[in-house]
Amino acid sequence: MPQDPPLTNEDVAALADYARIALTEGELDEMRAYLNEAMALLDPILSYDLSDVEPTFHPVGGVCNVARDDVVVAGLSLEEALASAGGGVGRYFRVPAIMGDGGAS
Amino acid sequence: MRALREVLRDWEAVIGLEIHTELTSLETKMFCGCRISHDDEPNTNVCPVCLGLPGALPVPNEKAIEYIVMAGLATNCDVMKRSMFYRKHYFYPDMAKNFQTTQGPVAFVMHGHLDLEVSGEGADERPDGTITKAADGSYVLPVKILRIHMEEDAAKMVHVGGAEGRIGGARESLIDYNRCGTPLIELVTEPDLRTPEEARLFMEKLRQVFLALGISDCSLERGSMRCDGNVSLRRRGSSEMGTKTEMKNINSFKALHDALAYEICRQAEVLEGGGRVLQETRHWEPSRRKTVVMRVKERNDDYRFFPDPDLMPFDLSDEFVERCRRRLPELPDARRDRYVATWGLRCREAELLAADPQAASLFEDVMGVAEPAEAQVVANVMVNLVPSYGSLGVGQIAGIARLLAADDITFVQAREVLDALDGTDDDPEEVVEALGMRQSADSLSLVVDEVLGRCEDQVRQYRSGNRKVVGYLVGQCMKASAGAGNPKLFNQLLLERLEG
Amino acid sequence: MTVSLDALSARQIAAGVAAGSFSATEVARAALDAIGHREDDVQAFVQVTEELAYDAAARIDARRAAGEPLPPLAGVPVAFKDNMNLVGTRTTCASHMLAGYESVYTATCVRRMLDAGAIPLGKLNMDEFAFGSTTDSSAFHPTNNPWDLARVPGGSSGGSAAAVSAGEVTISLGSDTGGSIRQPASLCGVVGMKPTYGMVSRYGVVAFGSSLDQVGPFGRRVEDVALAMNALVAGGRDPHDATSQSCEQDFLVHLDDGVEGCVVGVIPALLEADGVTSEVRMALREAARKLEGAGARIVEVDLPNMASAIAAYYVLGPCEAFSNLARFDGVRYGYREDGCSTLAGQSALSRAHGFGAEAKRRQLLGAHLLSSELYERYYLSAQKVRTLITADYRHAFEVVDAILMPTSPTVAWEHGTISDPAQLYLADVFTISNNIAGNCGISVPVCLGADSGLPIGAQLQGPAFGDARLLTIARALERACDQAGVVAPACAGRGGELS
Repeated sequence: MPQDPPLTNEDVAALADYARIALTEGELDEMRAYLNEAMALLDPILSYDLSDVEPTFHPVGGVCNVARDDVVVAGLSLEEALASAGGGVGRYFRVPAIMGDGGAS
Repeated sequence: MRALREVLRDWEAVIGLEIHTELTSLETKMFCGCRISHDDEPNTNVCPVCLGLPGALPVPNEKAIEYIVMAGLATNCDVMKRSMFYRKHYFYPDMAKNFQTTQGPVAFVMHGHLDLEVSGEGADERPDGTITKAADGSYVLPVKILRIHMEEDAAKMVHVGGAEGRIGGARESLIDYNRCGTPLIELVTEPDLRTPEEARLFMEKLRQVFLALGISDCSLERGSMRCDGNVSLRRRGSSEMGTKTEMKNINSFKALHDALAYEICRQAEVLEGGGRVLQETRHWEPSRRKTVVMRVKERNDDYRFFPDPDLMPFDLSDEFVERCRRRLPELPDARRDRYVATWGLRCREAELLAADPQAASLFEDVMGVAEPAEAQVVANVMVNLVPSYGSLGVGQIAGIARLLAADDITFVQAREVLDALDGTDDDPEEVVEALGMRQSADSLSLVVDEVLGRCEDQVRQYRSGNRKVVGYLVGQCMKASAGAGNPKLFNQLLLERLEG
Repeated sequence: MTVSLDALSARQIAAGVAAGSFSATEVARAALDAIGHREDDVQAFVQVTEELAYDAAARIDARRAAGEPLPPLAGVPVAFKDNMNLVGTRTTCASHMLAGYESVYTATCVRRMLDAGAIPLGKLNMDEFAFGSTTDSSAFHPTNNPWDLARVPGGSSGGSAAAVSAGEVTISLGSDTGGSIRQPASLCGVVGMKPTYGMVSRYGVVAFGSSLDQVGPFGRRVEDVALAMNALVAGGRDPHDATSQSCEQDFLVHLDDGVEGCVVGVIPALLEADGVTSEVRMALREAARKLEGAGARIVEVDLPNMASAIAAYYVLGPCEAFSNLARFDGVRYGYREDGCSTLAGQSALSRAHGFGAEAKRRQLLGAHLLSSELYERYYLSAQKVRTLITADYRHAFEVVDAILMPTSPTVAWEHGTISDPAQLYLADVFTISNNIAGNCGISVPVCLGADSGLPIGAQLQGPAFGDARLLTIARALERACDQAGVVAPACAGRGGELS
């Protein structure tokens, strides 16, 4: 199997930006080294011909159709909901300016 | 910009829709037992699951799955084997987990279709020759449905510190997670639609089907039904696909039509000017009657989809699907056809009644006491008069129809009677008596004599062979009686006198 | 005459409370006393819940006074890994991200232990968000191995293993994603069980790898672990966890049935693998002989794809971890960087400063592997390799009742001596395949290392839902090795006496 090209600092910066984890320049180097070392550890996966193998997304398979009845269950009070959100405003959770974030909707 | 019909003679518009419908008829959210509500105080219908607290796990609402299967069966979809939930990742605070639970390549239901009947002025948007039209210009368009999948709705956000509550320029945003996790079904059509009118009709028809199923209030104003439309243009005769733009969160039928019409004309202008349509998301601004760019999609977003390990796969049994099938009510098209076949209704009234489950149910109750021969009159009353009134009983509607059918009152008088009846238990017959409305030869004779007295010219014309002038005289009688007289009776009395 | 909690099994404590030999409150006081004397050295806890302990004990004592029958773990001191929610405690995952996070609901596994009458003594240290095998990555402090304070207790459930080994509690709960219960159990000389995936509810346990995580108990005796398992499965499947299954049963019924007629598999090549120390090799060979001596038949088996388990694990684990940890953005809870003008900035800095190095590494690795260009090549392939590994086990378990192998290639090592993350990953070689397949596994102390004098555990792996049988075989091994009930010598006898 051909190897994937090693990640560059630019790749890692894009990844960190996507995953919302700010990295300093030094951390960027360390992270690139780590990711390339970790990727090399995964090589055994690439050595298989898996064309006829079904994936197992859920271990201890065979269980399907697990659902619950449409019945209301008491949830959290407003105080409990907001208890850990230090920046709440009145009845709301609060975030600073979003524009430029580019969410999916 | 050129007019739509002109543009559509040169260009073919390829339109696909994605329609999101909240399953508001359910008691609880998709993956937790929190109540579904549009009106409660912010952040009061929340729990560890829909707030995405550490350690919380989702468990699907079985009835939501019944509902999506019903929606699929009603739109001729296949119920799929081995359907799974997937996680779709994007960092945005309206999703408490920073991923949305949705479905992967295999949705619960897929590969359906809905037939659209397009008639009247709307049919004119489609140039002749691109589809076989009937003598009256109407045509039937089968619209393929790619899939309907299940997902969870996002939280509501309020943007403050900017203009008009818009996100651009806002200083901060406030989040209410009550809506977060509300079951949402997303229907995706194949790009089979070719005119804004077809798109509008598709959404209207889908709404009628979902209303009949009773799975949602389908309120566009409240956002329980929302539509994204995408459109691209290609030269007539070409089979290549153009670059499409997407319009998000359209919240009325008119806006859907107008936004697509605007976008088609805009794209045509760009292309005719030698320009290139950019793949972008646009937003319809009704006040400015135009679409504006929300953002340009340089490349497709990478949502890092993978099957949700917390949710088991679904392999719905034949029994489950049959149970859903048995729960399907009569759908609007079938109901309309039955009204035409059973009571000989005209198509227009049959369709209008059949489209609205409450109206249909009331109509059928009224027909339980009314004479079958009066069905069309009952339908006329239901379509034209009843919607303006708050509470009319089955017997009252039947009574009004009977009076109208017997020519005892006119349509104009019927409104007065309904005004008097609304909110009471009174009998229409008695109200008509009380208001002194019942048409009698004596009272009408006075009007006829008065009209004949001042229309000597027309009387002469009649007697010299111009029979058509009677219509004018009837009109004069109607005018003289302020619309309260029965035109048939006037006609009869006039003829008696003119011939006598 | 005074009795030390060190000497009592869970069943003896519950029986003593039921008989009135001592009260639950006296047990709670003795446990807090043991913690007071030993915790400075061991540092297993991130939070000791004295008030909750006395409240729970008082409720047990009141029930006894009212003549009510007492539940099976009445008065038994327990503590929970700090990724398990319990109302009235902070649930920190040993991370700055959740340093002040107060639970607003209680995990099902914790609830069931409390319903069985257990006394909650506190929350236990761990590797941050369970990423690690040393507990050194805790954002608060390391935990020391009670057998040698200079050494790690293993991880990620290092606090859970150390607290039991040190005799601070009788039973603890941990979670095991790639060996995080069994490995620290081995390094601390206690019994640690990873039940079959789906047997114990994960609801309320902060997720790392949702298809790999499983909650399980630690104890100084197989019997204590079996009793805890009874409590964890009581009430059947948890309606709050769609992956949990109904497994209610009494694990004590056949616990002492012995291994006469049992077939136990061994994989000789595993003992020759790089990094397995000679004392571990010797200990495992001796364990096999002892099982044979107890009546089991030892046969060779093979798990041909086991060598790929680490690679599969380091695809699946990080991918699921990236997804599960995306929610920690400082908006609804957790560490929030104040003063940011944009949301993206606030999230990126909150996550940069809230998470430790390993948590960031695993998330970025996961985000990378899940990108649409790599998804099929790695994630989908790893799920297919999972199919092959599961099939290997299925074939093996057609012939054997359990497979015996090392838990860890070595005994506990000194703090800070292994720092390369990838080297640490390889130490999970014996435990990971079990999580990939979802089978049950248990580590049982078999002896002290001939060279190090430190505890060595043997691992037994059983088929999915063969947990009861696995406990029976583990009990036979424990009896043959005469290792039941040992408190680490440096801690034994320091406080913890029932007056």
